Amino acid sequence: MNSLVKYFSDFFSALKSLLTGMKTTLKVFFRKKTTELYPEKRGSLYVAEQFRGRLEMVHTEDNHHHCVACGICQMNCPNGTIQVESQTVTNAEGKSEKVLVAYRYDLGKCLFCELCVRTCPHHAIRFTNRFENAVFTREKLALVLNRPGSSLQPKPAKPAPADTNTNPAKPE
Amino acid sequence: MFDFSVVTTWIDEGLRGIMPASGAIAIECVLIGVLLLAVYAVFALVLILAERKVCAAFQCRLGPNRVGPWGSIQTVADMVKIITKEIISIRHVDSFLHNLAPFLVIIASLLAFSCIPFAKGLQILDFNVGILFMVAASSIGIVGILLAGWSSNNKFSLIGAMRSGAQMISYELSIGLSIMTIVVLSGTMQISELVESQNDLWFIFKGHIPACIAFVVYLIAGTAETNRGPFDLPEAESELTAGYHTEYSGMHFGFYYVAEFVNMFIVAAIATTVFLGGWMPLHIPGLDAFNQAMDYIPSLVWFLAKSVVMVFVIMWFKWTFPRLRIDQLIRLEWKYLLPLNLVNLIVMVLIVALGWHF
Amino acid sequence: MSTIKSIIQEICPQAVFQETENAPVQVRLQAAELAKLLKPLREDAALQFDYLEDLVGMDFGEKLGVIYRLYSTVHNHRIIIECQAESRQEPELPTLSHIWAIANFYEREVFDFFGIHFIGHPDMRRLFLRSDHVGYPLRKDYDPASNPLKLDAECLPDDTSVYVDHDGKTQIEGHTLFEKDEYVVNIGPQHPATHGVLHFQVSLQGEIVKKVDVHCGYIHRGIEKMCESMTYPQTLAMTDRLDYLSAHQNRHALCACIEDAMGMEVPRRAQYIRVLMDELSRIQSHLLFYATFCMDLGALTPFFYGFRDREKILNIFEDTTGGRLIQNYNVIGGVARDLHPDFIKKTREFVEYLPGVLKEYHDVFTNNVIFRQRSKGIGLLSREQALSFGITGPTARASNLACDVRKHNPYSIYSEVLFKEVLYKNGDCLDRYMVRMDEIEQSLSIISQLLDKIPQGDYCAKTKPVIKLPEGRFFKSVETARGEFGVFIESRGEKYPYRLKFHPPCLPLVSVVDTLASGNKIADLITIGASLDYVVPDIDR
Repeated sequence: MNSLVKYFSDFFSALKSLLTGMKTTLKVFFRKKTTELYPEKRGSLYVAEQFRGRLEMVHTEDNHHHCVACGICQMNCPNGTIQVESQTVTNAEGKSEKVLVAYRYDLGKCLFCELCVRTCPHHAIRFTNRFENAVFTREKLALVLNRPGSSLQPKPAKPAPADTNTNPAKPE
Repeated sequence: MFDFSVVTTWIDEGLRGIMPASGAIAIECVLIGVLLLAVYAVFALVLILAERKVCAAFQCRLGPNRVGPWGSIQTVADMVKIITKEIISIRHVDSFLHNLAPFLVIIASLLAFSCIPFAKGLQILDFNVGILFMVAASSIGIVGILLAGWSSNNKFSLIGAMRSGAQMISYELSIGLSIMTIVVLSGTMQISELVESQNDLWFIFKGHIPACIAFVVYLIAGTAETNRGPFDLPEAESELTAGYHTEYSGMHFGFYYVAEFVNMFIVAAIATTVFLGGWMPLHIPGLDAFNQAMDYIPSLVWFLAKSVVMVFVIMWFKWTFPRLRIDQLIRLEWKYLLPLNLVNLIVMVLIVALGWHF
Repeated sequence: MSTIKSIIQEICPQAVFQETENAPVQVRLQAAELAKLLKPLREDAALQFDYLEDLVGMDFGEKLGVIYRLYSTVHNHRIIIECQAESRQEPELPTLSHIWAIANFYEREVFDFFGIHFIGHPDMRRLFLRSDHVGYPLRKDYDPASNPLKLDAECLPDDTSVYVDHDGKTQIEGHTLFEKDEYVVNIGPQHPATHGVLHFQVSLQGEIVKKVDVHCGYIHRGIEKMCESMTYPQTLAMTDRLDYLSAHQNRHALCACIEDAMGMEVPRRAQYIRVLMDELSRIQSHLLFYATFCMDLGALTPFFYGFRDREKILNIFEDTTGGRLIQNYNVIGGVARDLHPDFIKKTREFVEYLPGVLKEYHDVFTNNVIFRQRSKGIGLLSREQALSFGITGPTARASNLACDVRKHNPYSIYSEVLFKEVLYKNGDCLDRYMVRMDEIEQSLSIISQLLDKIPQGDYCAKTKPVIKLPEGRFFKSVETARGEFGVFIESRGEKYPYRLKFHPPCLPLVSVVDTLASGNKIADLITIGASLDYVVPDIDR
């Protein structure tokens, strides 16, 4: 007799659990959907400001950058993503100094670890939240970050403080 | 209420007027065949889209929304794609059986489809053991699935096919017995008569408790019969990747896919026909004005509306429950559904014998 | 401590002890003596080292060897044993696999990377690399050029070899894994239920699983080898790529290990932020577990519920850390940047939102009769087995093995927060699932405790531009969403670690699949795999 009672109570509790489940899914059925339409709603898309989309070099309005071609970023990159090409020239004062020729950055190899940005002594580079990085060939991922014709910001001007959040505690 | 047999008789008489009877029948056969295939394909397309939309809504998604407004012609695009896809020939398979299997599945599905009474007078096959024929025809599909599993020379396929065999043979019993319960109540196996005799009240109300039980059992067994979740063990993608149709590609795979969806509709349609009055409007004895108002809604709409509700319920099952394990599946049938069904059948016989039904 | 020493000295008179303060006993043994010591280590009432924490292969320069780390859950003490093989050409050590089951996999890993043969090991195959790999990559004299890229498929052998000791001479014996007429099905490397590129060779008898042979290494990246040529800040970039669902916690372990080694003080604010992020990571990982577990059992709708809610955490992460999956947030000395102004608000919203959703989770899946029947009593893992297999984390706690590092060996500010260590008794799939669902609630409670109390101050201590660790061995473990994640650093005083070993919580988890799944059905194998919740990159490293 007991087993018969159990048979039926099992049966009905099972049925109840199934119906509770169906009730829950039906509730969700009529709820607002969470899908975000991309690219239609691209304008209102929320991408966090901090998001590490790709590396870029900070340029001022008159096409100056802050990179002194010291190569610390290249040294710190765990994956060999960055190649700083420089040449030594003699400046107006007669001193020889390193000048940036091309700041090569391979987006395809980047780990997005941000070591380059964190260790740059001049806040010359930063990450932007541009996330649409897809291209058709791997060659297109090899970027040159310094704009054509750009040059180092002249000395007297203080280096523009980069985004306060992207560049915290500097190593001494 | 509009009777579609007026149209068919008119076409038949018109054809017979201009040619001998044999020619007319030949033309009608071709006409009906083409029509059947076309309707079958359209149903499949609509159902696949509906499934994707319903499933998306259950899952807080939007579902297809790129091709056409609200993704409405997504499945048409899919169809074009799958038709143009290469059917990859695989080494070391039994190629005759491998190629035959999808056709068996689709033929079984088509045969059952042709028995469905869509509206008053709109039915292709209708004879005195119609419902028996329908159940029999739909079970041919299992041969196709077993052959697919065997001939694919793939271990996943074989396991899937064996599961499918065990499952379908078991649940065939429940389907048969639950329909039998209603056959006892109505006293006929002819589908058109089944529907006609629900003129005063649908069977699910007429046969009260036993009919309700038979209805629920039929829905469960029917879902299992179509290999749909939560009974989708034969193709359980997290276990067997794709089960019996792992090795199929192109339209051969498409046949399985289409047949699965139309089979779901067939199950819903049988449930509608046998339990919910088919195309018969909702009639309540005593309320004549209400009954007449109901009659103004075309029979095709009645049938489709009821079927759509049933299809939704079957989809609802799939998108709520986790998959059963093979032993649970077999236990559910042999330990719960089958005894329940047998008792139910006896109760129904008693009710009919004692005249306790409405 | 002195009792441990005296017992060991009695058995191994030649043992060399290293004197360290406040640290576990360190002892160097000869291979022959180690073999004698094994049984007493496990069985002696005063020792009872029942848990093999880690087994680190080492290239000591002259010789090859292994560092064993053993722990006793009874006496709560630890021992570190160093053992070097006699010869570099034919390095041999006694096996531990008959005493601690997990040693089976660990020793295969060491064999794979260092070529040390373990005498008596039942299955001396490579664990990660292809069987036709030349040389042993973690040896310091390994030449990568000896293995050009192979594009042909690997033929998996059906047999293995055992190294047996015959009166002092080592002989190799063959041993069959799969008979010729066994119905062997390959689940993986590409299979929806293996959660990545993991490969199970499953021998079937109808629906019943007879044996499971695990093949790892399809995405092995050699992170430990790479780290040996990286500076310490650079190695941090690797940890997020191990168990990507516990990215933050992994990195916490490595940072904490380096900080401890340097004797550095981490600001309070940074510690609060770290713990907050750790717990958010745990929740998102458990939500993903819920999602994939449901999917593996065929319930596709709850899968999306889990992902929907996990996305909310990822958004919170993204605001502050700049990453969603790979966060790169912990740095040596603290965290990379301060909390986003919206962090507290958004997190509080989430903490209030989740319990309601959790109820829905339980309604739709946990209480479902099909799920209950599929998971109850399936894949039973006893407490003893869990210990022997070195299993940690939620999986062990489902077997009533209290092993939460946050409780038993508190790091950061975990000693200051109140939370319950979730324990279940049966050790079946249902309990493993329930532990994780309950841990979500515990993590929520930790977060709400901390949110109001985040102190002001620095979020990162100042560090030198070049970070060098003092000479020595350093170990740190944290509790990730999957168990105890350990970092072992052998430093020789340079910018680079001499050897950096990550102790993955997931390798023990896959090693137990065979034991749990044998005798169950194929569907149960999937359930068991899903309930263990392993992450393949953590196994493969």
